[in-house]
Amino acid sequence: MDSDSFVATENLTKVYSAGTVQVVALKDATLSLDKGQFLGVAGPSGSGKSTLMNLLGGLDQPTSGKITVEGKSISTLNKEELALYRRYQVGMIFQSFNLISSYTALENVAFPLLFAGVPKRDRLRRAEEMLTKVSLDSRKDHRPAELSGGEQQRVAIARSLINDPKILLADEPTGNLDTKTSRQIVQILSDLNKEQGLTVIMISHEELLLADFAHDVIHLCDGKVVHDDNEIYR
Amino acid sequence: MRMSDYIEQSLSNLRKKKLRTFLTTFGVVIGIGALVSMFAFGKGMQKNFTDTFNELELFNYVGVYARSLNSRRHEDPDRPNTQEETSKPAPVLDDEFLLSLVDIEGVEWALPEIRFPALIGLSDEEEFSLIQVLPADLCQAGFVKLRAGDFYTSDEEYSLIVSDSLLRRLKIKKPEDAVGREVELSTLTVDFSLSNLKNILSFLKGTGLPFSRQNYTFTIVGVIERMGMSGPMPVRSNVFIPHGTSQKMKKIAITSVSDIFQSMRPSQGYSAIGIKLSSPKYVEPVKNQMEDMGFETFAMLDQLEEIKTAFRFVDLFLFAVGMIGISVAALGIINTMVMSILERYKEIGIMKAVGASDKDVKKIFFFESGVIGFMGGVFGLALGWIVSNIINLIINSIAMEQGVPWVSYFRFPWWLCLGAIAFSILISLLAGIYPTLRAARVDPVVALRHD
Repeated sequence: MDSDSFVATENLTKVYSAGTVQVVALKDATLSLDKGQFLGVAGPSGSGKSTLMNLLGGLDQPTSGKITVEGKSISTLNKEELALYRRYQVGMIFQSFNLISSYTALENVAFPLLFAGVPKRDRLRRAEEMLTKVSLDSRKDHRPAELSGGEQQRVAIARSLINDPKILLADEPTGNLDTKTSRQIVQILSDLNKEQGLTVIMISHEELLLADFAHDVIHLCDGKVVHDDNEIYR
Repeated sequence: MRMSDYIEQSLSNLRKKKLRTFLTTFGVVIGIGALVSMFAFGKGMQKNFTDTFNELELFNYVGVYARSLNSRRHEDPDRPNTQEETSKPAPVLDDEFLLSLVDIEGVEWALPEIRFPALIGLSDEEEFSLIQVLPADLCQAGFVKLRAGDFYTSDEEYSLIVSDSLLRRLKIKKPEDAVGREVELSTLTVDFSLSNLKNILSFLKGTGLPFSRQNYTFTIVGVIERMGMSGPMPVRSNVFIPHGTSQKMKKIAITSVSDIFQSMRPSQGYSAIGIKLSSPKYVEPVKNQMEDMGFETFAMLDQLEEIKTAFRFVDLFLFAVGMIGISVAALGIINTMVMSILERYKEIGIMKAVGASDKDVKKIFFFESGVIGFMGGVFGLALGWIVSNIINLIINSIAMEQGVPWVSYFRFPWWLCLGAIAFSILISLLAGIYPTLRAARVDPVVALRHD
């Protein structure tokens, strides 16, 4: 493991036990990336992509192995510390957007600031600024059901960035979008990566999309990192 | 998270499910309303009771009973009467004794406990009243103060003294007008003689009582102010007659406790007398003094602690009944909160994904329970108050027709009002514990996959 890498995992393993059956979702995954990198993670469904993403996002804890972010171990944090990690260090976007359906776009973007203890007026002001960045300020009072898939994902991106995270984790962000919209969304991620130096890790099974935007692509198969090269990109 | 955010979050979440929130809160409202009414009724009863006691000055009263030889033997059959005890002259409750009580500190008046009910007829008006025996010798003792007329001088004459309040009920406004007028006193007796055949037959058929009316004619000689006649029974006497005359009348006198408990009457003097004191602080010394003389005593003050205990049991019972409603309401809260968590399963996952700690999630749901409890408490208190007042109005309007004066049957002390709201919040928070823990345990990985 590269000691001065920004995000690194070492022999990361996750085993789910469903009754007597044990499912190995991730096996000895070791990877590292530098600050400001755009990493693509590819692989068929069930290969452990989402498990890796949940572990990196602090939503789940590994069975064994280690995750470090800026040299600090994430896998040894307690629940309270993990909540803080999720709140300030990482932003996540998902295939199904995961917006709160009863909230407007603005309220959805402002939601993470609630747990950060930001006063309501500041929350709404910052959320509005963030919506402007993703060109959705005109749709701020619409609820998710009134927005297109691309618009919903832009709201989700705005929400993931509201606490100014260091890492953006995107779990199949284009899975529910058409080709044109998919490229627009990944373009936004790429712009954020280039312009603001945001470290991006994106899962996708669309190799072409990863090839066009990611610096590096790793492949997962049956929970193992099988291929770690940058030939496709280069 | 800020306090204001917790409140705003829970209110907005509850607003989203208006009907469910309303129904759940209404359950709490009914529960708290019932509990509040029950408690208010208990407190009202207690207050009316002690007020009546204080008004009738029952706590200023000592009953003194002649100790009959019969009852003493009954009390302690194994102990033979010692020489000393039998040689001691038996104390007698006579007029001389009553007069001697005037000199004891704190004694306002003392009268024989001879009282019986009768109908007083004057012109066309008739009123029911209790007749108190006032021996002629005691008239000058200053126990009774006249407003008009004079006292009777002999114990054998058919003269009486009447209170001004009874006169008003008999439609006589000036006390002076009553002096010298004749009144009819009608007593009831159990009569199995042939002349009362009609009533006896109805008694045998189970439709009546074998009473017959005895009429006596009296002359009003004096008028007094209404006098609080205290005794073990909360009654007031409005008519006083001489002792000798009373003995000649046929009557049922069961208003004195001594008549019920003391079958063996002493040959001399009265079986019982009542002493009215100016303050409850004299009860103990006077009681001791009487007991030293060889009398038995009874003081309502001694019963106060037992009465208080009885009221505590009443409170406990009413609380237990009220708790049934509260328990049902609490189950309603648990149900609503669990439903709410199942519905917002994904939302909880999102909360956690964007940085909510387990504590944040717990508090959000805890506040929701608390808000339901607070609203339930406030509106429950209001409901309890309204219902109590309606019931009070109905009871009183019925009672007023029977001539019973207005009484508030419910009482809402400040601690009951605040306590009801606090209790409602407490119960709701307790009901929220399980759903809250469940919400905090939601696994975000599973919740985010959930659709």
